[in-house]
Amino acid sequence: MLRLALKMLFGDRAKYAMLVCGLSFCALLMSQQTSVFCGLLLWTTATVRNIRVPIWVADAKVEQVNEVVTMREVEVQRVRSVPGVDWAVPLFWSILQARLPDGTFQGVQLTGLDSASLVGRPAKMLEGRIEDLQLPNAVIVDQVAIEKFAKRGIRLHVGTVFEINDKEARVVGICETERSFLGQPYVFTTYSRALQYAPLQRKLLSFILVHPKKGTPVPELVHRISTLGGLRAFSSDQFAWDTLIWYVRNTGIPISFGTVVILGIVVGIAIAGQTFYLFVHENMRYLAALKAMGAGFSVLAKMVVLQAFTVGFIGYGLGVGLAALFGNAVLRKGQPPFYMPWQILAFTGVVIILICLFSALVGLIKIARTEAAMVFK
Amino acid sequence: MVKSRPCTARENASLFMFKRVSFFVALAGIGLAANLVRKQDVVLPPVAPLAEPASAPYRDSIGARGIVEGVEENVRIAPAGAGLVASVKVKVGDEVSAGDVLFEQDTRDAEAQIAVQEATVLAIQTSIVEADVALADKQDQWDRVVQLRENRVVSVDEKQRTQFALRAAASRVESRKSDLAAARAQAARAKVQRELLSVRAPRHGTVLQVNIRAGEYAVPSAAEVSLLLGRTDSFQLRADVDEDNAPRVKPGCSGVAFIKGSRQNSIPLRFVRIEPYILPKRSLTGESGERVDTRVLQVIFQFDRGTVPVYAGQQMDVFLDAK
Repeated sequence: MLRLALKMLFGDRAKYAMLVCGLSFCALLMSQQTSVFCGLLLWTTATVRNIRVPIWVADAKVEQVNEVVTMREVEVQRVRSVPGVDWAVPLFWSILQARLPDGTFQGVQLTGLDSASLVGRPAKMLEGRIEDLQLPNAVIVDQVAIEKFAKRGIRLHVGTVFEINDKEARVVGICETERSFLGQPYVFTTYSRALQYAPLQRKLLSFILVHPKKGTPVPELVHRISTLGGLRAFSSDQFAWDTLIWYVRNTGIPISFGTVVILGIVVGIAIAGQTFYLFVHENMRYLAALKAMGAGFSVLAKMVVLQAFTVGFIGYGLGVGLAALFGNAVLRKGQPPFYMPWQILAFTGVVIILICLFSALVGLIKIARTEAAMVFK
Repeated sequence: MVKSRPCTARENASLFMFKRVSFFVALAGIGLAANLVRKQDVVLPPVAPLAEPASAPYRDSIGARGIVEGVEENVRIAPAGAGLVASVKVKVGDEVSAGDVLFEQDTRDAEAQIAVQEATVLAIQTSIVEADVALADKQDQWDRVVQLRENRVVSVDEKQRTQFALRAAASRVESRKSDLAAARAQAARAKVQRELLSVRAPRHGTVLQVNIRAGEYAVPSAAEVSLLLGRTDSFQLRADVDEDNAPRVKPGCSGVAFIKGSRQNSIPLRFVRIEPYILPKRSLTGESGERVDTRVLQVIFQFDRGTVPVYAGQQMDVFLDAK
């Protein structure tokens, strides 16, 4: 009987294609849009993911990583004095303008790493050596900077000299970083040199990076530092989540993406539900005949549910497959953002199942109302 | 059995294919998505620091930033007065003992002053001889008037006048003598002035900085150090403790210093003293517009120059034992 149900389904190719198209479009829209949304939000935490340390310390009023309230440099010593701190080093982070000799300029995220230890250094060097950062006026730029300048026909390479705040910066290396939401490329240098590039301010320290001693749990140390007064500590994960949540609360990103996702669901439900209804309607003759031959409601129900879930499965597979193709393509290019965690696949699956159940229900209601005599009409 | 739509064998086959293709395409799609999820689900591993930053060696410690200086503080040598530098007698790294000439200022004017003063002394000495002769003359006249007066040859009036003339001549001699003493003092002063133009080492030490060259104008100024003198055999470390942590510092506490930014080469410190006055933090960025952001308690430690290369003026990461 179930085989018969599948035959019935595949037999009507036009309807079958329509059903699969509707569901796969719905799955594609949901998984692709939520992936782009997740990717975009993930970009906001790029600084945390580029500088991989267990604990971040910032001014008490800081809520997320992309806003900086500068601190007094002596805070590093205060944090160092907290029991359980293995090491604490300063970090400078600010958006400054890099200017080439021909006047081309580009905003950059100048990141000053502790001069001796280079804590938070980029994980992957594409060209040059990280140790060269200790040469005079040395900076390391990321692949985004190369792209940004390449768009204007300028080939940035090891040895290129540009200016930050009228002070010379010489590229000694190119590294790979996680892209940032802010769009500006990362430029790494040492902390002491970053202070010279930075416009003169009373306070210049952006963050303190902390590593706990062996045996000191991170949450406990975070609590200890936060109770010092004037400072707020975050574990790396917490800082990333706080940043994500900040963007969700304070920007229109979730609303715009949420609208598209909901539209996807609505379109999916509308197309799938309607087509399925038509499908059941057209096959009513056969179903009625089956009913007349004594097939119980449960047998017919099983058939319809099987049909619905077969279409659902194929539509889901095609949809997420297309989204994955899109993802693979854009990840190679670096943008637009794309991040597909397993939760997106699960969420899309659940929604598709719900749509299938809804469609099957519509069909079932139709069947339940049908009398066997239909077959003679 | 209900007959479904009649279909030919050929149609059946294509139906079969169609079913299989879409099924496998869907499977492939899910596989692709699962693979992407797996690929993106990587926890980025932390990157090891180039050198492990300094770490507190005590269970309960106070972090501080320190600066190395010679024992007994460095001496910022300045000239006694403004003047042109004629020659610098030492170079950086020279060992000097107390009294050694460090640099000399131009002496031509001072030499001329000495010559002037000495000429004045000579002139006064000559005028004393002159006054002596005048005195002898008046004395002679007086002696004679005294004899003539006994014979009542000269009048009382004449006798009195001669006596006053004698007294005037005598006091002129005295006046010239005190002029001579004054001129000699002036000459001595000129020599001292000349001597002051040689700037000498106040104590034993090593020349750390020479910021003055022959031909430059040296001025006594607290901001510009002409020459820095200090000891380099044994160092002391001035640790700046933030005022928030000041109450935790125990007199006599032990400490450990690391060369800034590194955890290798720890240097044990011996407590010397706590500076009793809390100072505004001296920022080391070298900007003239720097504003004070905190005040610091300074703790002085001593340490021996071991195998670790340490230089005066170097910044260190310091940890004090707060137990």
